[in-house]
Amino acid sequence: MMTSQLPILVAALVFPGGVFALALGLALKGADRRFAARLQGRVGPPLVQPLFDIVKLGFKRTMAPDVACSPVFFGAPLIGAMSMLLPIAGVYAPNAMTGDLLVLLYLLTVPGIALMLAGSASGSPYGAIGFSREMAMMLAYEGPIVLIVVAVALRVGAATGQWPVFSLSEIVAYQQAHGALLFDPVMWPTIVAFAFFYPANLGIVPFDIPEAETEVLEGPLLEYSGRPLALFKVMSALKAVVVLGLGVALFMPLPLFGVVGLIGWLLQLLVLALVGVTAVRVGAGRMRIDQAFVFFLKWPLALALIGVVAAAYFSAGVAP
Amino acid sequence: MTFVAKLKDIAARSPWLYRINAGSCNGCDVELATTALVPRYDVERLGCVYCGSPRHADIVLITGPLTKHVLAAAQRVYAEIPDPKVTVAVGVCPISGGIFRESYAVCAPIDQYFPVDVNVPGCPPRPPAIVEGVAKAIAIWRSRL
Repeated sequence: MMTSQLPILVAALVFPGGVFALALGLALKGADRRFAARLQGRVGPPLVQPLFDIVKLGFKRTMAPDVACSPVFFGAPLIGAMSMLLPIAGVYAPNAMTGDLLVLLYLLTVPGIALMLAGSASGSPYGAIGFSREMAMMLAYEGPIVLIVVAVALRVGAATGQWPVFSLSEIVAYQQAHGALLFDPVMWPTIVAFAFFYPANLGIVPFDIPEAETEVLEGPLLEYSGRPLALFKVMSALKAVVVLGLGVALFMPLPLFGVVGLIGWLLQLLVLALVGVTAVRVGAGRMRIDQAFVFFLKWPLALALIGVVAAAYFSAGVAP
Repeated sequence: MTFVAKLKDIAARSPWLYRINAGSCNGCDVELATTALVPRYDVERLGCVYCGSPRHADIVLITGPLTKHVLAAAQRVYAEIPDPKVTVAVGVCPISGGIFRESYAVCAPIDQYFPVDVNVPGCPPRPPAIVEGVAKAIAIWRSRL
């Protein structure tokens, strides 16, 4: 692949991570806000509005509560934003080093943990509620995503005649050669489970319970102002690229390379964001935390389990 | 134009709104909600969003005659909003007390307690008037950045 020759630092800081991913993530957020406004019959903000927001936050005074634990309070947004720089190289053009699915799974939990730390270090009761809700949501959606990854690994592993493949580069290469898993009926329960997982992981409306403005006043983010808040906005923009990119890499990588491949990838991310995030966000109300918790332990978990069993059963004949 | 001035022009296009209800009868608050949410008067065009936390706010919209009961709480919330900030008083109550004037329980006019930058009179003011007030507040906010 193209980036396998590039040094890992460039991949993390310039392209496809860092500057490029930040611009892409902010553009996706802007498209999301614009499309949501259009669905509601409004004009909506300009596409670059999320960038305006971040520049604005740079000019605001940074305040911290007296009772906050400052090192954690200011460290959490930094850790959260930096943790998202590395996995973007892994989901865009994975190679043996950056494309390890298990490492990706671990890195994907870091923003959630950063939010939990932020909420608990702020010393605010609303932050504490946000912390407990974030933890409940993580417990609910981490199970399905692990099973989703296992199902994909089993399916690709059986098809290539090896043990389960946890290397994203091999998964992508297999799909580029033999067609995307999106068109494989055995994988459909898994894909539906992933469609439930990513709005929850991105924290958007039916599942944005930890940061509900009207109930817990944005929960963990309540006490943040100025630059630390901007870092959280950067984190969520980068996370959108990583999670949507993971969906593309797992189920629908295009057999295209170079500039055409990049344009195709961007279009895929845009479609995933507008259909799977914006349309859902505009069409649904916010769930309660107990409803969301039970929902995730019922449907996505069951679908993901069915996906694993199906992948194991229908792949048994070809396994070594 | 210098680079910093350009950045400030960009920053001025992202004013986040925060509502303080200082004992309002809810008439102005309903108008504020429709200002943002009804498609006809979409303030998100100006980059505005309502934020849940005072720590995120740039433009403060105060409604109501400031009852004695809510005075200390409103002042405390106001102090939590990081500088630079702009204050918009919505409705006639913050100016004179409106229908509650001469009551023993209200502290109007509220500019004894808060530095009001823009007044939007009306009982309640019409949404276009509120949008105009927000637009004026954005111009003041740009000068304070």
